[in-house]
Amino acid sequence: MTAPHWLSATEIAQAYAAKTLSPVELVNTLLARIEVLDPKLNAFIRLDAQAALQAAHQAESEISAGRSRGPLHGVPIGIKDIIDVVGLPTTAHSKILVDNIARADAVVIQKLRAAGAIILGKLSTHEFAIGGPSFDLPFPPARNPWNRDHHPGGSSSGSGAGLASGMFPLALGTDTGGSVRNPASACGIVGLKPTYGLVSRRGVFPLSFTLDHVGPMTRTVADNALLLDVIAGHDPADPGSAASSSRGFGALLGRGVRDLRIGFVRHFHERDMPAHPEVAAALEDVARVLQAEGAQVHTVTLPALTEFSGINRVILCSEAWSIHQKWLRERPGDYGKLARRRLLPGAFMTAGDYVGAQRRRGELIAAVEDLFRDYDILLCASSMDPSSRMDDAAETARTYPRQARSPFNVTGHPALAMMSGLSHAGLPMSVQFVGRYFDDATVLRVAAAYEKATGWHKKRPPIG
Amino acid sequence: MDPTIIALAKAAGLDKALAEFPDDVQAAAEQALNNAGAVLVPTDPTVEPWPPMRAGLGL
Repeated sequence: MTAPHWLSATEIAQAYAAKTLSPVELVNTLLARIEVLDPKLNAFIRLDAQAALQAAHQAESEISAGRSRGPLHGVPIGIKDIIDVVGLPTTAHSKILVDNIARADAVVIQKLRAAGAIILGKLSTHEFAIGGPSFDLPFPPARNPWNRDHHPGGSSSGSGAGLASGMFPLALGTDTGGSVRNPASACGIVGLKPTYGLVSRRGVFPLSFTLDHVGPMTRTVADNALLLDVIAGHDPADPGSAASSSRGFGALLGRGVRDLRIGFVRHFHERDMPAHPEVAAALEDVARVLQAEGAQVHTVTLPALTEFSGINRVILCSEAWSIHQKWLRERPGDYGKLARRRLLPGAFMTAGDYVGAQRRRGELIAAVEDLFRDYDILLCASSMDPSSRMDDAAETARTYPRQARSPFNVTGHPALAMMSGLSHAGLPMSVQFVGRYFDDATVLRVAAAYEKATGWHKKRPPIG
Repeated sequence: MDPTIIALAKAAGLDKALAEFPDDVQAAAEQALNNAGAVLVPTDPTVEPWPPMRAGLGL
């Protein structure tokens, strides 16, 4: 029998229905686990045990009275600390905002509460979702449950570390240059950057307006679809929110991949940014698995990864500068070194750089859209390397930008990262699936087929 | 430090950062140059930025 802390949200709902588990029992189990593990992993900035237990009691009484609010009722979730939860600080892991108490719930938190989910607390991030992993901030950086000497990816680092170590079954992250998919890759979990505009960003501290996404992070693909079902939806007060009313993201999960046409963007990891040999071999295995399951896999070509990355950085730094310029002028010493270095370039970008990047952006979007006329899904690398040691700043600086996630922040297509195996050193490796706009369901369908065929999601880190 | 970087930093109001963290300011200026240099800006003058201005939508 699976221990309660390793249950998926789907299994938790089944256990509640069968009365073999209750929300209070589960939250108490997770709180005890967090007490033991969090001092080693630093997933939490702020654990809100009292509110979580109160919500668990409420969920228990509602469920036992037959008033279930749906599949996430009574299911605990962790929240990245740039997302507002009323009454709790939204620190963004920074000294700048250490006393910033949220006056209202973010829209995604309102939706989670309406669905009956239990908010456990606020999770570690890179400072302002960009500066990390860092040791010069008010809170320590999260660590990787697969090997605590290695980083867990970022910037949604506490979300990845907490999921992979069984502290909670669900988490929210945000993704501007890959920050949901990086920890998913490093920690061996499932992270989806939904289509741009599918999930409201209201109440989330911005990093870059035209690149920011909120995304579901989970241990299984089915849970990812369930969480997306709850948080997706039009928000008239979010200027980037799409009119789409898509729901039922898990509707295609059992359909397999037979006859799907998959474009494999090999040049990202073979030519543009040559991947670690084990990562490259694992990607070839992914293609073989999907072919064996009935998909057609063909090599396809996009503009160079370095150009996507350059555009992402010009747009991100320019937009972030407009947010941070006052603090960078008046309080540069209150930022950690990495955030300061990664935010200051915006001061040196010209208006021409920014508009030029936005003009080229349209051409890159067109290039990806061209591929989707012939293919249902794109397959490519996520991280080019397993995660590096946290005490090796040079290696972390070298490997962190070696990724193929930022292209899909530039284009806004839905993109999911998940585990593709373990390296010889016992660290997760990853793959990325990308879909058409608002066809997040097909991305999840392919991920589910791969998950079922390989069973990587059943691997657990050696953390207890 | 390159006097152009100093002048640009001062123009951006970064006197304090320049005094306290000159290495970070220099690294940021170099990174901005590298990133902008990686972008192949369209030569066709009619290519518009993305996302486009759309009157009446979003507010």
